[in-house]
Amino acid sequence: MAVEGTPLSVRPAGAGRTDNGRASDRRSRRPDPGTRSGPPRNRRRLTSDRLAPYILVAPAVLIIVAFRLWPLALGINFSFTGDLDRDGQPVGLANYIELFRDPLFQIALRNVGLLVLLLPVAVAIPGALATFIFLRVPGHRFYRSVYFFPAVLSPVIAGAIFNLLLAYNGPLNRLIGTVGLGPIDWLGDPKLAMFTVVGVHIWATFGMALVIFLAGFATLDHALLDAARVDGASLPQVIWHVILPGLSRTIQFVVVTTMIGLLTSMFALLYVMTSGGPGGATYLPEYYIWVQMGQMNRPALASAASTVLFFIMLVVGLVQVAILRRAGRED
Amino acid sequence: MRSARRTGWLLAIPMAALAVATIYPLVFTANVAMKTRREYVLDRFALAESIRWDSFVAAWTTAGMARYFVNSVVVVSIAVALLLLLGSMAGFALSHLRFRGSRVLFLGFLAALFVPFQVIMVPLARTMADVGLLDTYAGLILAYVAQFLPFTIYLMTSYFSGIPRELVDAARVDGNTFYGVYRRIMLPLGKPALLSVGILNALFCWNDVLIALLVMRSADQRTLMIGVTTLRGQYSDNIPTFAAGVLIAAVPVLAIYLFFQRRIVDAITAGATKG
Repeated sequence: MAVEGTPLSVRPAGAGRTDNGRASDRRSRRPDPGTRSGPPRNRRRLTSDRLAPYILVAPAVLIIVAFRLWPLALGINFSFTGDLDRDGQPVGLANYIELFRDPLFQIALRNVGLLVLLLPVAVAIPGALATFIFLRVPGHRFYRSVYFFPAVLSPVIAGAIFNLLLAYNGPLNRLIGTVGLGPIDWLGDPKLAMFTVVGVHIWATFGMALVIFLAGFATLDHALLDAARVDGASLPQVIWHVILPGLSRTIQFVVVTTMIGLLTSMFALLYVMTSGGPGGATYLPEYYIWVQMGQMNRPALASAASTVLFFIMLVVGLVQVAILRRAGRED
Repeated sequence: MRSARRTGWLLAIPMAALAVATIYPLVFTANVAMKTRREYVLDRFALAESIRWDSFVAAWTTAGMARYFVNSVVVVSIAVALLLLLGSMAGFALSHLRFRGSRVLFLGFLAALFVPFQVIMVPLARTMADVGLLDTYAGLILAYVAQFLPFTIYLMTSYFSGIPRELVDAARVDGNTFYGVYRRIMLPLGKPALLSVGILNALFCWNDVLIALLVMRSADQRTLMIGVTTLRGQYSDNIPTFAAGVLIAAVPVLAIYLFFQRRIVDAITAGATKG
């Protein structure tokens, strides 16, 4: 086909540059004004070319706008309207006031604080294990596969299995019984239940963070590690002075994704293991939203809780951006 | 060097203990599922007297896991196919075609990644009820596509960016339209990424409960994971059947894990390191 005259298909001067700069691409891809008056065949092709990107992205845009962005806007708007007999009427901040007065929501927020406190544990466990695997502890390949495996299980399945394991007369109590402890009411003790559920969440997800850490390790400078070894550095010294600085980016990524995971993917565990109990002790905002929407028939109140959760996530995201930017400057 | 090796062996002990802690819950459940109710009540730790499949059969038939299984397979396979199609189309456009608004679109998709489902689920349920999508396969499929599309687009865009511009240009010189380039260059070369991302999406959809609980209301529309959550109530006095139902729901995931472990890890780490 004689399309060589079409500027779009000719490699422009400078296209061989490997910087892939967006600005230069755009400039070089803009068709020559002269082609507007080209033969009809070319013109049709140009129109098709110009439309192609939009047609390719259109279905994705439509679905995301309809089922993600539109509900987001709707939900924030919804949170300022009433429930039940005041359905649809504007009520100002009434939902938010009720929300923060609700003891259950207060527990949910306190539990968010607890998650923030437990975050270092949830990051340190996969971090330490990844370090050991990276240092080629005997059997490291086997351990990597084994540790990763719960990460693919559904939280529902993990929760169901742990319901059996944590039963009062279940295996875990029997195990600690052999060393003279317990039995402990893992899910029935209000002081303990949240820790138990977070523990199961960590069991079920640390493999994910582990493989991300290992990917970060793969980018470490081996010469530096070898030099440290030759100089007789101890294992803690190697970790502190070589591995940690080299991994700062990966650590930040894992911290943020783990935090998001703690805030948004414990619903299934709560639903299966405790149903928010005992006495509301294991409520998180996401479970609160679910209960208010479904059982309590308070969708507007639930929307207010959603907006608060969104705000919390936004803060987490912004903190991430701030940290990443600072790290970028240090590099 | 020798001391390093000794530390290595010392570390191996807690690591082995943790490996046991990772595997044992599943072994315990499998053992329970092989037992009779009597065996379970008498001693829940002893090995099952024989390998017995009665509980699996019971969970599959009387507990309705077969129906839930079919629901899950239908919904997940269509959702994953759509995700790959739409995600690769948009990923191709964003990585190789320059057009007005492409940067804004990419950032928009990225931003959508950070909107958690819990934040939109109340109005989403309302919207779906309004247009009659609640309690339908189509509704759940659309909800999954909307949920996992930003992630899919993000990964496909970064993968396609690695395909040299020269290949696209050469195909254009040969007379291909952009659609032809997509079909003849991007899809074949993108196969490894499509497989990885497809498996990951399949796991996400298969394992989901929250979205399925929200969209599927009636008993015969339940997916396998909702089925598992209802099993406990139904079979609280028949733990072996409960355990067997849990395992039935886990088996496809375990199979995917055993066959595609490498690919799952690749997809996760690609998302992590290219950010």
